[in-house]
Amino acid sequence: MAIRARVARLLVWSLALLPLVFFLTGLRSTDFTSLAAILNLLGRLSGVLGLAFLLLSAALSARVPGFDLPFGGLTRLWNTHHLLGASALLMLLAHPILLAFAAQGHGAGLAFETLFPPLSERSLWAGWLALLLMMVFLAPSFSFFGSPDYERWKRTHDLAPFAVILGLTHTVLLSRTMPVNLDLLVWGFFALLAVGAVLWRFVFSRRIGRLPYSVVQIDRPANNVVELTMEPKRRALHYRAGNFVYLTALDPELEAGFGEEHPYTLSSSPREPHLRVAIKALGNASRAIQSLAIGSKVTVEGPYGRFFKNPDEVPGPELWISGGIGITPFLARMRHLVQLDQGGDIRFVYCVQDEARALYLDELQNLADAIPGFCLIPHFFYRQGPLSAEFLREHCGDIEKREVYICGPMPLNRLAQSHLRSLGVSRANIHSEEFELL
Amino acid sequence: MKKFIFAVFVAFWASIGTIAVMEAITPPGPDSESTFPATTFTMDDVAEHDHLNDCWMVIEDKVYDFTAYIGQHPTPASVLAPWCGRDATEGMRTKGIGREHSPAAWALLDNYRLGSLEANP
Repeated sequence: MAIRARVARLLVWSLALLPLVFFLTGLRSTDFTSLAAILNLLGRLSGVLGLAFLLLSAALSARVPGFDLPFGGLTRLWNTHHLLGASALLMLLAHPILLAFAAQGHGAGLAFETLFPPLSERSLWAGWLALLLMMVFLAPSFSFFGSPDYERWKRTHDLAPFAVILGLTHTVLLSRTMPVNLDLLVWGFFALLAVGAVLWRFVFSRRIGRLPYSVVQIDRPANNVVELTMEPKRRALHYRAGNFVYLTALDPELEAGFGEEHPYTLSSSPREPHLRVAIKALGNASRAIQSLAIGSKVTVEGPYGRFFKNPDEVPGPELWISGGIGITPFLARMRHLVQLDQGGDIRFVYCVQDEARALYLDELQNLADAIPGFCLIPHFFYRQGPLSAEFLREHCGDIEKREVYICGPMPLNRLAQSHLRSLGVSRANIHSEEFELL
Repeated sequence: MKKFIFAVFVAFWASIGTIAVMEAITPPGPDSESTFPATTFTMDDVAEHDHLNDCWMVIEDKVYDFTAYIGQHPTPASVLAPWCGRDATEGMRTKGIGREHSPAAWALLDNYRLGSLEANP
């Protein structure tokens, strides 16, 4: 899986660098005759790379179910998307500055004229507008002005397609990035990928991808956690234990989050007739959904993610580490193993503050008893302090032989990973699901 | 990575600000027209230099000898060939789709100037 993910990432980056090859074939000796010429060359180069990164980043945002699997799940795919976006922004910030400096080499005042041409220069102003939009929609992604909430981040990110269109307009009007005709061919191909992704995201996925469900049961495992049981209204979602979905609540009575999609992990076994998600009140929308009524309509899009290597069986020894609402993929897998009557050597370190905050503890204990070879190990912070390497070693003598799965808050995730590394667990055996905003 | 990107973002606006301030405080230069040759040519004179090895053009009533520049122009020489020996103002104003040549390109012209077009009688 790790190798496949590396190949998938390598393919994306190779594709992103493809325009560079064409750009280089168009270079001439006069591009190196002076400092101004070199700055101009770098300015054009940063523009070409920036646009390629931006368009591919857009293409990766489509979120077509199944497309994330070669990358090792949607969160890993988001990582590549995020890196491409960051690289695009860096390149496109350098682009106008380098070209302005280059122009100054031909006479005083030309840097300013290059940056701020007459309004009739539509191509340049399209480029400016694209760059300004990028700054706006990427500011929350890179926490320019503090950590954003999910809704603000998502709303501003919806500006991305406009930046893509303006960036393409800028490039096509200038039509000078590569040797003749290659320009249209290369950018046409990248534009098709990006526009295809945007169309899928905003048009087709809303019609085809989102499956209608209705809420038939609501359980409250804690006062800030709700578990929704949902019945399909059309066809049922096919998924594997540990997958997550984007859920859109369509109850107009909701205080927040009406019609907004949010990612939640499925807590049910794929063998169950109904779909279940456990939702903790962490933001406005997830807080509002706590008061959702039975009978409410929702849509579900997915499945995404590839948390467990083998969700349906336990071929080798495993160690699970979880905390907080990170329990959901493990709950789903335990329910699934019971449904399948499967057993296996699994140690589950469940980290919670105290007994009162141990979500699903009774059900987990019952499930653990029903799965042969399963060992549930609660870890209470108030009594035992932060999770330690010694604790892990004590309960897992053969820890380096185990596939390890981690899902929980970032601090626990980081702590667990550093302990595992120090205990000699290879990186390839550590799998973690991260839900925090990148 | 976030900090690095934010630093580049700040550097970007700092550079834009610097260029804008420099532009605002630089006094306008002396009229450069007087430094150019006062020679005048007719359209017939220009028309004699109509191939890539000897290429003159008229742009906004000024006469230029671009023979030495042809090899440095970003597009292939064949794009420039039809303009040799003619008034190329249109070519200068309509590069690509709805776009002029850059301010830097206009500034480059001065290096190749021979004189002006004779005023119409």
